[in-house]
Amino acid sequence: MRLEKCYFCSSTVYPGHGIQFVRNDCKIFRFCRSKCHKAFKKKRNPRKAKWTKAFRKAAGKELAVDPSLEFEKRRNVPVKYNRELWQTTFKAMKRIEEIRIKRQNQFILNRLKKGKELRKEADVKEVETNIHLIKAPTGRVKTLEKKMVQVIQEEDDDDMEEV
Amino acid sequence: NSKIGRNAKQSGRPVKVINVYKKPPVGRLGDKVLVTIEHEKKKAYIVGCKQRQQTLVPKFDSNNVVLVDDNGQPLGTRIRAPIPSCLRANTDPNFVKILSLATTFV
Repeated sequence: MRLEKCYFCSSTVYPGHGIQFVRNDCKIFRFCRSKCHKAFKKKRNPRKAKWTKAFRKAAGKELAVDPSLEFEKRRNVPVKYNRELWQTTFKAMKRIEEIRIKRQNQFILNRLKKGKELRKEADVKEVETNIHLIKAPTGRVKTLEKKMVQVIQEEDDDDMEEV
Repeated sequence: NSKIGRNAKQSGRPVKVINVYKKPPVGRLGDKVLVTIEHEKKKAYIVGCKQRQQTLVPKFDSNNVVLVDDNGQPLGTRIRAPIPSCLRANTDPNFVKILSLATTFV
């Protein structure tokens, strides 16, 4: 029993699921569900369908190049059976899985950090430009406004630190 | 890659199934069929179907057939197209010959 990857969306295809299609040039296409199969028949390019892993990796939204991903690649050289090799491989697989998941999550976190900074800047700017909406008519309030901007900035800093 | 097979491919005349040697005459994977090819009638075994299959059986881009003579000996010396591994279970002696000629299994 072997878990394959869907050609279109790259999700795992478990036995008993999906459709396997053999093209006349002997290339095998596996699909996890009819959604992917139909998209393939419509000649859609998986690298352009935004919901697929292929798109995400091509667009840099997910970890694409990493040593921990190299382990999953298919090798066409058969390995001579060696019991110890199997055992160490088995242990290694678990550890590599952990590392890979951590790295992937870290990659996404790093990618999203920038968004947080940009949003904070945008918020500060918004307050400064629109402070006239909440300002009181008297002139004394300029200091109050400044204080408000300061307070908002501090709040954002706290949020950043908390997270 | 029998002579006839090659000729047929070159001349572009499609192989047509004219008879299916089965009780309800519907040809599926692994069935023996009568086939016209290059103005001749030949027997053949179906090895690839365009039709949707049961789970774990692949479907092919085209309906594939392996030409066989009246005794059941495959006409060619090699089979290039991939053959579904579910046919490996056939113990029919003619089939075993076909499987031994096959290079790739799906």
